[in-house]
Amino acid sequence: MKASETWVLKKPDALMFFASLANEMRLVAPRYLFGGDVMFGVVDSPKEIAWDYGHDIYPPKRFLLPHFEDMLRYECSPPRRIRLEAVKDAPPQAIVGIRSCDVSAIRFQEKFFGSPIVDPYYKARSDNTVLFSLVCNKPPKRECFCICCDAGPYLDAGFDVQLTDLGDRFLYEIGSEKGERATKPGAYMLAKAGPDDIAERRRIELLADSLFETTAYIAKAINFISADEVPDEIWEELGSTCFRCAACTNLCPVCTCYTVDDRAEADGSFTRCRSWDSCQYAGFTREASGHNPRPTFGSRVQRRFYHKASYQYIMRDGRHGCVGCGRCVSACLTKLGVPDVVKRIRREMHKYLQPQDTVAEV
Amino acid sequence: MNPVLTTCGFCSCGCGLYIESAAADRVASLCPSANHPVSTGRLCIKGWNATPAVLGTDRLTTPLIRKGDRLEPASWGEATSFAASSLKKLISDLGPQSVGIIGSAKTTNEECYSLARLARGVIGTPNIDGACRFYDASIIHALLDTTGIAASQSDMNAVAQAGSLLIAGANVMEQLAHIGSRIEDAADNGCRVVAADPRTSRLAPHVSLFLHPEPGTDLVWARALVKTIIDRRLYVDTVPELPGFEELRASLDEAAGDLKSACGIDADAIAEAAEILAKNPPLVVMFGLGVLQQLHSTQIVKALADVAILLGGSVMPLRGQNNAQGACDLGLVYDFLPGYALLTNPAARKVWEVIWDCRLPAKPGMSAVDMVRACRSGGIKGLLVFGENLALSAPNTEESIAALDKVDFLAVSDLYLTETARLADVVFPACSFLEKDGTFTNIESRVQRVRRAFEPLGDSRPDLDIIADLASALGAEMPRDPRKVMAEIATSVPLYRGISYDKLDESWGHPLRRTLDGAGVKLAPISSSLAEKDDAYPFRLIAGRVNYHQQTGTMSARSAVLAREYPEAYAELNEADAEKLGLRSGRPIMISSKSGSLVRALVLNDSVPPGCVHVPHFFGGDSPNALASYECDPVSGVPAYKACAVKVEAVK
Repeated sequence: MKASETWVLKKPDALMFFASLANEMRLVAPRYLFGGDVMFGVVDSPKEIAWDYGHDIYPPKRFLLPHFEDMLRYECSPPRRIRLEAVKDAPPQAIVGIRSCDVSAIRFQEKFFGSPIVDPYYKARSDNTVLFSLVCNKPPKRECFCICCDAGPYLDAGFDVQLTDLGDRFLYEIGSEKGERATKPGAYMLAKAGPDDIAERRRIELLADSLFETTAYIAKAINFISADEVPDEIWEELGSTCFRCAACTNLCPVCTCYTVDDRAEADGSFTRCRSWDSCQYAGFTREASGHNPRPTFGSRVQRRFYHKASYQYIMRDGRHGCVGCGRCVSACLTKLGVPDVVKRIRREMHKYLQPQDTVAEV
Repeated sequence: MNPVLTTCGFCSCGCGLYIESAAADRVASLCPSANHPVSTGRLCIKGWNATPAVLGTDRLTTPLIRKGDRLEPASWGEATSFAASSLKKLISDLGPQSVGIIGSAKTTNEECYSLARLARGVIGTPNIDGACRFYDASIIHALLDTTGIAASQSDMNAVAQAGSLLIAGANVMEQLAHIGSRIEDAADNGCRVVAADPRTSRLAPHVSLFLHPEPGTDLVWARALVKTIIDRRLYVDTVPELPGFEELRASLDEAAGDLKSACGIDADAIAEAAEILAKNPPLVVMFGLGVLQQLHSTQIVKALADVAILLGGSVMPLRGQNNAQGACDLGLVYDFLPGYALLTNPAARKVWEVIWDCRLPAKPGMSAVDMVRACRSGGIKGLLVFGENLALSAPNTEESIAALDKVDFLAVSDLYLTETARLADVVFPACSFLEKDGTFTNIESRVQRVRRAFEPLGDSRPDLDIIADLASALGAEMPRDPRKVMAEIATSVPLYRGISYDKLDESWGHPLRRTLDGAGVKLAPISSSLAEKDDAYPFRLIAGRVNYHQQTGTMSARSAVLAREYPEAYAELNEADAEKLGLRSGRPIMISSKSGSLVRALVLNDSVPPGCVHVPHFFGGDSPNALASYECDPVSGVPAYKACAVKVEAVK
């Protein structure tokens, strides 16, 4: 079975298929918690996988870049001896049921952490991770706008394995060598996809594309932002309602920033830990002198959008820094999600933009 | 290793959040519940940084007993029996009233109830009060005398759907983010917001009319607002039939003088506010610590409740602490038994004497502030403090620390070695809300489950165990299982009737009754008052909290991210005042009152009105509470932390 081949997995066989895979690696998958809440977690049995889940709020990026992570331990014991011990925590894992937007985000992060200096913690995890993405037959929630970011609702490339729910069966596409290897344990349960399967998949794609409620015409905003044309007043007005919670960056599957902290342990040793950090905090950019290049909330919102919607990343990484998952919309205590800000920038800019000849007259 | 759904222990919003442990003191994951009615998939900055704050590396992990100048590690048996024998000696030598107990609004309902029972039923002292005395206890009598319920009548959804909002003395966007978010939703849907705050707060983008009273004059404008509503007949039709209407009307006859010079707001602005609030139902009247910590806070709350009743609206006191509501509901109040049964009511006493199998003195004991003072004067010889950093939260810091230092026996239960714990004779290491089971009652009076996500760190224990251990050492058995304590609460406190963990585990919590069905609602008369000016102390203090911290910062300052946001203590003046005094930005200034002084770096900010200085709370022994005197609201006993008269000068 080769990459770019398309197969079919019958739903009754899916349990056994993933149970076979579970012998080789741990399964990370969406699970139902209380009251309809869904969260990705390590499942003991593929029975727990919530195949019908819509969308989760806590992105599976944390299985590659943990929210809280121990990096290394050290101990200083006399006379002048320092013992260093790396923390190795990168078990082989399959992330099953991950959405296209999150796969796109992880591919972005892999590039970010892979060059020019390799982050060994991230790389160890990403090398050991295989992504079984699940196509969205319809946008799982109102806030979804992956279609505006070329990140979903289905993928043409970038997945290891892509599953599409065709009712009684999954279409099973292999997209990488990692995907090929992960297919082996349960390969005998797969059958070649036929023309009907492909046609059904095509129908689902077209339907899903037509069902998005949120749109972010991000290209125009990228123009304004990249050319540095958005006046400070707009950023400050946006920043004036920010609650400073940093959920937009915490829950962004693309965001990569972290802070490092040395933790004193009860036994006298220390652990170097890292945890997610946010450019929305004043302390993130404040310099030791007290000077802060991003002193206001508006300037910090601006910084975020220089990363989410500017040419910089398109030129370097081939895409802008947003995959349209909508988490920054649903997690925001005010209205600073990407589509809201894009809309406000596009509309507000009309006040500032004058036709060229009018400007010349003035 | 599975995520545990629990209730956030920071503010009174009470978000549902998932926490998963990776090891004894390691967090694997933390995220909001998407479907929880409060969090709705969102958390504030404190919620996102909750774990480093409560699982700090300097947590107390073993009991400590004072040996001379030092606090030395001890076993639980030693610590408990030392505390019990000290208490027994005081009780037998001087009587139980020589003992005082101050509980915390951060602990669970079960712990608050058990502590009230330990004090009244086991030790037999009337001196039991909660930390709410330092914050928002001024709502209790005021609301019982008006709306009839000492709690919010409104929930989060009602705020989002309000037609108009009156928000007085509250930095709500920073302190109660989820309420703030609902206010913004309401404003986006056309709700008219009237705010009253000496300083322009972050509410501003959502406000239709922003009133800027001079600090300490809230009773003046609130009374004027009530009078305007009555004079213009803006009230709902049925109001004149309510008890108290005529008394209220008569109480307003007394002239208040010129409004503008008395409070800084002119009569036209009050009239505009009255029209906005009357013509845009439904109205929710909200008020925070800005008005709850004043010399006349009970009167102010009554006036604001009158506004709500006159206009057919509801009230929502903006209480700060996660379990402020539950702590007061369940008896951490010096003049009430659980469920707001007045101690002076013989029938109520009889009921609780049967339940607790004890004799209850008819006379209310001392309030928390009085207990601290009595530690100095000798009326209190033994003080038990649970989870409140009194050394920073009590007014008149210098005096209060001296009092805590002087008391013969001081026992403190806390997560960390706080400024208060350092003065103790015995320190009990309590565990945090992440390490125990129980319930909190949030700002909407929703009783919600708190669930254990971590084993208690080191030898720390839930306060419930510490309380039961003390009771046991004093010869009385009390349940240690929070489920059993809730069963007792559910049968004996009418407000909490029928609540059980089984039921709570099936839902997002149990909303308590919030209205009295008309009966019992009455209007309260409002007397006038004028703030006095003192030429030696010409500035008014605006004390407030910043977004990133809670109370004395015992927990929040331990998060590296939160501490990083507020690295230096500062005070704000407007530019004109600074120029007049010859003060330069960034330089240290001294702010002093009759009671104390502190030094801060000056920041210029024109949102601070002339004649005022804004001093945000900081942590590590530097609190504007140091400037407050022991002067309290006479009805509620809440100290007048706000609007204190101060002078400002350069540090030479």
